[in-house]
Amino acid sequence: MSSSKVAIGSDIGQARRTVEQLRMEAGIDRVKVSKAATDLLQFCMEQAKSDPFLVGIPAATNPFKEKKPCVIL
Amino acid sequence: MSELDQLRQEAEQLKNQIRDARKACAEATLSLRLHTTLTQGHLAKIYAMHWGTDSRLLVSASQDGKLIIWDSYTTNKVHSIPLYSFWVMTCEYAPSGNYLACDGLDNICSTYSLKTGEGNVHVSHELAGHTGYLSCFQFLDDNQIVTSSADTTCACGALKRASRQPPFTGHTGDVMSLSLAPNTRLFVSGACDASAKLWDVPKGMCRQTFTGHESDINGICFFPKNNAFATGSDDATCRLFDLRADQELMTYSHDNIICRITSVSFSKSGCLLLTGCLGVTDDGMVVATGSWDSFLKIWN
Repeated sequence: MSSSKVAIGSDIGQARRTVEQLRMEAGIDRVKVSKAATDLLQFCMEQAKSDPFLVGIPAATNPFKEKKPCVIL
Repeated sequence: MSELDQLRQEAEQLKNQIRDARKACAEATLSLRLHTTLTQGHLAKIYAMHWGTDSRLLVSASQDGKLIIWDSYTTNKVHSIPLYSFWVMTCEYAPSGNYLACDGLDNICSTYSLKTGEGNVHVSHELAGHTGYLSCFQFLDDNQIVTSSADTTCACGALKRASRQPPFTGHTGDVMSLSLAPNTRLFVSGACDASAKLWDVPKGMCRQTFTGHESDINGICFFPKNNAFATGSDDATCRLFDLRADQELMTYSHDNIICRITSVSFSKSGCLLLTGCLGVTDDGMVVATGSWDSFLKIWN
């Protein structure tokens, strides 16, 4: 992962604001990647069975199904 | 071993774990079949499209200066709205379905009321303030809209009062897209400075900055749960970032994909990430793609 390139610029006020922002961002609590990824994975697994792209849509309830033309008997 | 090295090692192990878990889910091959091709209605490139929250109507905007609202079930055009500006970058539906917003090269966000009862659609509000073109916006509700712009800022405006909060500053390049977090007043923005930022709307501040991409971020989309988001970039990769881990979890790339990714969207469960120029409906049933050959297609 590339390191963040911070544009400080020549304006001292802007520089202070930038540093202040960075301090704030540096101070947040972080969760371990293992936990974060596990939580996302768990959510996906739980939701997968109701995801139409994964389980498909029964033709009867699919409003986008091609409608068959009428046939005159 | 430093904590950073430890995290990298765990991340590698988890990448493999996630890959194996996806393989286990993919016991059938998923193929997207073309379902419907909407009648050609645009004469020029389609630049933007968005689904309404009813998952049936969608709006598309193009360089021929029109907004078209389609009924995706019947493929009929419901409204065709000529615009003042021929150059439209983005369009958006309000969650209620009562308003549409679109931009122009005049840097103004115009909203159109769809429920006038007279049958014709007219401009209801205009929001100015940006000093660069509007790249993206999303309605928080019928009255509030969050916008991103080439002037490197984002802003939140109240349409009825035609006023804005002080802009969200921090990006050092054009902000190309934004995505509202589900159920909260947070949003993420992706910009040409190759970074994504998480913003707090009520507090008016940036909470976190995410780096990793090597070029402009064009598309950004929150995961269905607001812990993570995905980005698509000119570096031909998509990346998944987690808010609580404050970093990138994964990079998605493919040897066959060497072109810029303009748009990303998650399926309803978050298991699938679709890329291109597209949108997935709120009910997760279909994805619509809009392309430079001026057709809108619906897939499921």
